[in-house]
Amino acid sequence: MNETNDRTAIAVHNVTRRFQRTGGGEVIAADNMSLTIPRGEFVCLVGPSGCGKTTMLQMIAGLLAPSEGEIEVDGRKVTGPGPDRGVVFQKDSVFPWMTVIQNIEYGLKCRGVPAAERRALARRYLAHVGLEGLEESWPRELSGGMLKRVAIATVFANGSRVLLLDEPFGALDYVTKHQLYDVLLSLWSEDEQHRTVVFVTHDIDEALLLADRVLVFKAGHIAADLSIDSPRPRNTESLLQPAVVAHKRTMLEHIGLRPSGGTA
Amino acid sequence: MNGSRSFNDRRVGVAALLALALVWQLMSVLFPMEIVPGVPMVPGWQVVVTRTFLSLSNFWEGGFGIPAASAGTPPSYGVAFLSLLFNSLDTFRRLALGFVIGGGIGFALGLLLSLSEWSNRFVGAPLRFIRALPLLAMIPLFQLWFGIADFGMVVFIAYGVGVIIFTSVINAVPRVPQIYRDNARTLGASKLRTFYTVTVPAILPEVRSAAVIAVGVGWAAALGAEYLGAQSGLGRIVVASEAFGYLDRMFLTAVVIIVYAAISTWLVERGFARLLRWA
Amino acid sequence: MNATVTARRTTPSSSPRPVRWRPRVDVVGLCGVVAMLGVWQAMSVHFGRVVPSPLTVANEMAKNFISAPTFRHYGIADAGYLDAILYTAGNVSMSMIAGGAAGIAFGLLTARRRLLRSALDPIFLTLGTIPIFIAAPFLLLWFGISRFSAVAIVAIYVATIVYAYSQRALYNLSPVYEQYAQTLGADDRRLFWDIMVPGTLPEILGGLRIALAGAWGLAAISELIGSQRGAGKVIQSLANSVDVKAIFCVLLLLGVVAAAIDALMALVISRVTAWNRAGGNDHE
Repeated sequence: MNETNDRTAIAVHNVTRRFQRTGGGEVIAADNMSLTIPRGEFVCLVGPSGCGKTTMLQMIAGLLAPSEGEIEVDGRKVTGPGPDRGVVFQKDSVFPWMTVIQNIEYGLKCRGVPAAERRALARRYLAHVGLEGLEESWPRELSGGMLKRVAIATVFANGSRVLLLDEPFGALDYVTKHQLYDVLLSLWSEDEQHRTVVFVTHDIDEALLLADRVLVFKAGHIAADLSIDSPRPRNTESLLQPAVVAHKRTMLEHIGLRPSGGTA
Repeated sequence: MNGSRSFNDRRVGVAALLALALVWQLMSVLFPMEIVPGVPMVPGWQVVVTRTFLSLSNFWEGGFGIPAASAGTPPSYGVAFLSLLFNSLDTFRRLALGFVIGGGIGFALGLLLSLSEWSNRFVGAPLRFIRALPLLAMIPLFQLWFGIADFGMVVFIAYGVGVIIFTSVINAVPRVPQIYRDNARTLGASKLRTFYTVTVPAILPEVRSAAVIAVGVGWAAALGAEYLGAQSGLGRIVVASEAFGYLDRMFLTAVVIIVYAAISTWLVERGFARLLRWA
Repeated sequence: MNATVTARRTTPSSSPRPVRWRPRVDVVGLCGVVAMLGVWQAMSVHFGRVVPSPLTVANEMAKNFISAPTFRHYGIADAGYLDAILYTAGNVSMSMIAGGAAGIAFGLLTARRRLLRSALDPIFLTLGTIPIFIAAPFLLLWFGISRFSAVAIVAIYVATIVYAYSQRALYNLSPVYEQYAQTLGADDRRLFWDIMVPGTLPEILGGLRIALAGAWGLAAISELIGSQRGAGKVIQSLANSVDVKAIFCVLLLLGVVAAAIDALMALVISRVTAWNRAGGNDHE
């Protein structure tokens, strides 16, 4: 289960992460966890608040160090954040003091891509997320959904082979969310060699619509590892297929909810 | 844990202030020059708490059966303490009167003129200009208008404090989110009731910040007014000391005033804390 | 698809903003200014001896603006009001540069270092509380009656104000921006110039604006206590000879210049931080 090969994008080896609680005591957000994610897979980490899914994502991003164990991305040990792993944050992280196009170019600029080339790339991704014409707008003039489009365009333009998304659509309305699923999946399938995506969510339906594989987190453990074989493109109808419904039932049970309602 | 942390912060702060006092002492050793015989350029603490403190006896104007310093009362720690106490009380009295009168008028007038959007705008524009007039440089003018006695000083302090509080009210009222007023109106509150149950409480946090600033300005104004012509008070000690180059007395007065300013700021914050438990 | 630009944001900060009451040219406010002049005129009719009329003051200003031979009677140079205000403006600018630089440097340095912050905060607070009527004579006796002393006094107060604003600016900057920039590949130098500087700029500029507003009065006082030139020196000399209309001139000039430069600064701030909703206009 733990073996790594050149098909592996992310390998987590026996990682434990503890937090000091204010007022004493410890919280274990990851308890000796191991997992491997192959290249090009779209993985959703699902679970209730406080189950450790965001902690895992932040450790892969390098924003948080494991207390024990180590994480490898593309065979290199993670020691800090870097442009090989793009992150879309839960909070709005689009820089308010840069225009939309400057935001999308920022990562390319940091990596020294020539101005003309990065402008062209940024425009292409801006169009891809459906925001053409808004190059010179300030982020404050954009709605929440549009800001997420900018953030997605930025990480895709930056060319990261691994994308980490932390409940990116949590604060959006139903319709906007579904529009953004389409945007995300179309960018993901655009490349011949799919990028590896780790997507944290507490929304089971969201996971079933997006993922190749769902990892159900529970109190710092992986409670279930499910392959979602439902064919793409998926829509709300796909959620009614018997195999998907079975997955949903398994997930709800692990999270502690009976499908019929009430607490297990 | 949070409590102990802020306790630690306070300890570091006290340590830093002690270090500052030590640096002062070190400077007094390094620069032992004297301006007036017996008065060092940088008065060390051993001078400040002894000779300097004693010399405050000179400002004793008589009372309690102890004749004034000018009448030949010899300096003593007791008289120096009485002198400091009564000169401080004179300054306190002026400051407190000016603060209450100026703050009260500023607050009431600001609210009154904010009852309507039009009157708020009408006074808002000239107010910006009046606020730009340098307060302390206006002392000579106030002396000319209101005299150099207590009345003039209180009016000056009241003006300085009043302008700050008045401005904060005039600026804060238009910024109260409309949704709170709308909510009150839909619940059946009259316009007037909405004003004093919604608008007035909503601007209090801003008025508190202004009041804290006004304490500092009030001290500067009180001292300035006394500095430019008073027969008693801390400002007069400063000006009489400066005239003869007694840096040590000025230093002692500065330390005393810093302590007073800290205490009065704390008092004002305490006063508002009760009103703003919700904030 | 709602790809049109809307001013709506679905963040918690989108609570309905109060409607701005001030249009570009505020006619009502203008009426207020005219009314103020009217009150002034009425006062001058009543208290002619101590309140000169606006016209008298304007005449005095025009007569003695460039050079003022009568000033020589008061024992000061006969250069006019212009020279006095320019000298004061020079002192203010130098204080702003020196005090502002120190305040920004220490403010940013302490923002993310708890220990340093709890050590420096009380020191800056204490410095800011020393009354200028005591600080000024000290510096004047130590360093002599010089321009350096006058500038140093004001710079201290500027530094304490800018320190507090700069510190709060960086302290309040959400760490998500730095994390995001790091995941996009920004190094330390870029983090500083692309994230910290623009992210803290509105609040620092707001602090500089507040410090500037106070600096005019402080500069005048430090000149009043010990200087041979400047607006404060003119006030002091004229106060002794009870020349009310001249005192009015200097005070008004200080007020007008301070208000004009403040408005200019507000404009510059709103341009420089066009991305920011507050735009620097709401710092009072």
